[in-house]
Amino acid sequence: MSAAINIIDKVPFFGGMFQIESNELNPVNTWPSLMAMTSFIWFAIAAILGVSMPAIQFMELGSNWYYQNITLHGAAMAFPFAFQLMVAMSLHRAGACLGKRADDIFVSLFYVFMNLGALLLTVAVLLGFHVTYTVMFPLPLVGASMGQWSMGTLVLGFSGIALVLTSMIFIYPIKILKMSFFEKTDDTLQVAERTLKDPGMIGMIMGVLVLLVTGTPLMIVAGSLLLHLYGIFPAAWIGWAAEPVVFEFVFYIFAHNLMEAMAIMIIGAVYATLPLCTADGSRKLYSDKIAILALWILLVTSVTSFFHHFFTMYPALPSTFAYHGNIMSYATGVGGALTIFTILATIWKHGIIPTPALFLILGGFVMYILDGASAIVISNVAWNFKLHGTMWAGGHAMVVLIAISALWMGMLYYHYPLMTNRTIDDSTARSSIKYLFISYIGLFYTFIAAGAAGMPRRNGAWESDWYIYGVFMIIFGVMLIYAFVLYFLSLTRSKSLDY
Amino acid sequence: MIEYLYTNAWGAFIVLLMFQIPFLIVFFHIVNKKAFIESKPGKTRPEKYSYYRYSWIALVLVAFVVVNSASIKYMPTVVEANSASDPNVKNVDVTASSWAFQFSEREFNVGETVRFKAKSTDTVHSFALHHPDGNLLFTLMLVPGAGTESAVVHTFTVPGEYTVRCLEYCGIAHHAMKNTFTVM
Repeated sequence: MSAAINIIDKVPFFGGMFQIESNELNPVNTWPSLMAMTSFIWFAIAAILGVSMPAIQFMELGSNWYYQNITLHGAAMAFPFAFQLMVAMSLHRAGACLGKRADDIFVSLFYVFMNLGALLLTVAVLLGFHVTYTVMFPLPLVGASMGQWSMGTLVLGFSGIALVLTSMIFIYPIKILKMSFFEKTDDTLQVAERTLKDPGMIGMIMGVLVLLVTGTPLMIVAGSLLLHLYGIFPAAWIGWAAEPVVFEFVFYIFAHNLMEAMAIMIIGAVYATLPLCTADGSRKLYSDKIAILALWILLVTSVTSFFHHFFTMYPALPSTFAYHGNIMSYATGVGGALTIFTILATIWKHGIIPTPALFLILGGFVMYILDGASAIVISNVAWNFKLHGTMWAGGHAMVVLIAISALWMGMLYYHYPLMTNRTIDDSTARSSIKYLFISYIGLFYTFIAAGAAGMPRRNGAWESDWYIYGVFMIIFGVMLIYAFVLYFLSLTRSKSLDY
Repeated sequence: MIEYLYTNAWGAFIVLLMFQIPFLIVFFHIVNKKAFIESKPGKTRPEKYSYYRYSWIALVLVAFVVVNSASIKYMPTVVEANSASDPNVKNVDVTASSWAFQFSEREFNVGETVRFKAKSTDTVHSFALHHPDGNLLFTLMLVPGAGTESAVVHTFTVPGEYTVRCLEYCGIAHHAMKNTFTVM
């Protein structure tokens, strides 16, 4: 029995979601199942921390608690939850479509690096390393020099971040590229054959290349700083990397494109899955060519649209880059528009089978488009100066993660029978989707409205005018947690397909 | 109307709804119809799909061009550049450091146009000015060592107490990094 199955079997409640039997498909099922289960544990922690933030304000527990929880919440949501869930599903899909194993050393290394790194960062945050998950450099160093946190917690936190980034930027992309281009095909694992011309496969490969290409400079800069903190590199060697402008730009080039890569991968996955749910059984998109064109437009326009993170530095950021970022950000909307058309035309042309899996995928897609529109609006230079740094921007970061995660959770519903030989509890799943969508809409417009009203993000001492938004955050946050509990129950209540 | 859309953050909210509401109506109509009312495949002719496709992309392109073109005169980058040689603009230097702002001048009158030039001396901060009604007038991101100060030009039109805040998280007393000044 594989180590992954052993771990799953020993975890209470969450392990019950993935009761995997030993069979010939274990190489594409076990580690993705373990990753998905672990990602849900991280979500449970992150969600409670998320709801705690407005509660801390109402109960006046102090800004230190707020900054601790916002750091833990953001880091857990983005990396060990959303990203790990994406990796779990993409490894399973790539394995089953290409006939490649998803249980080798790269997979287990990814799992260890991601979760150990997240744990180290968690310990550092609990010891006082309150930097928020965006790590606004040189805040970690300035904070240590001012006594806000110790140098030891800084080294611990950076070590955790380095492990997480290594798993995302090197281990996962290299594994997907190996599976796609180099490893031998095992026919017994190839359950649903796909070629590399398939839009789903193209989206996945584009996504991992974006991570590898935009992440490598960040790893070089952050790695140099970390080696200095370990006492291996002298200060004279890392002066270039410690420049705030250098770090900020390589960080945001990666962080922005991380979200874009995740979006490109999930759009590719939607292109791959929607045809399998068509009513006429055609298993076709409206047009593969337009689907692939949309992915290319999303890829080439998103890479340089990261400038929208720096518009408000003007004129330190020359206006030409601001206008370029503005245009490219809106151009991503053209890729989004083509995607909307392809999906709706496919539904109209071929009809759909209304399963929970498809509804969650389509619901996640609607969430993704709604959030994308908010991102495009704030990428206009005129509006950016009035919204950057407000809850509008914070809400965008949060809801894009919820949208992408909802899409992958829909994918998990679809692939669940193959992964576990069990079928989800249909009625619980439908309730989960309903509450997930309502809570998403509620949270989305609460954050957007708070931002429009001028409420700052990441502020540990709310003013009385902002409390009304906090009330809605708690209401819809609790509803979101309830939706996830139902989602988990729809898996633990699953029934074996053998009966 | 256009000026309100681009000079007030709620204008962005309105434009956002103008993008989202038509999408939601069309999407839910099609999904509902194909999932619950008439799930069999549509009989629309191929040329109709082409017509809708080109019309949709043309609509999106026109909307994006119009929204951005109309915003140009309200972009703070454009306003600042256009006033570069205006002798009537008062220059005010702002220095941000954890966790306070220092101003070279902090008394302003209604109708006065001010160029705020801001920099940070330690970590990433921002210089954000909130209107007395709470709305955010502008924010500047201040990255130490950026080579030049961040700058914006603003004309005060309403008297009252304005609040300056840092909107970039800068440590455990980030929320305390705020100040006020009065416009007479």
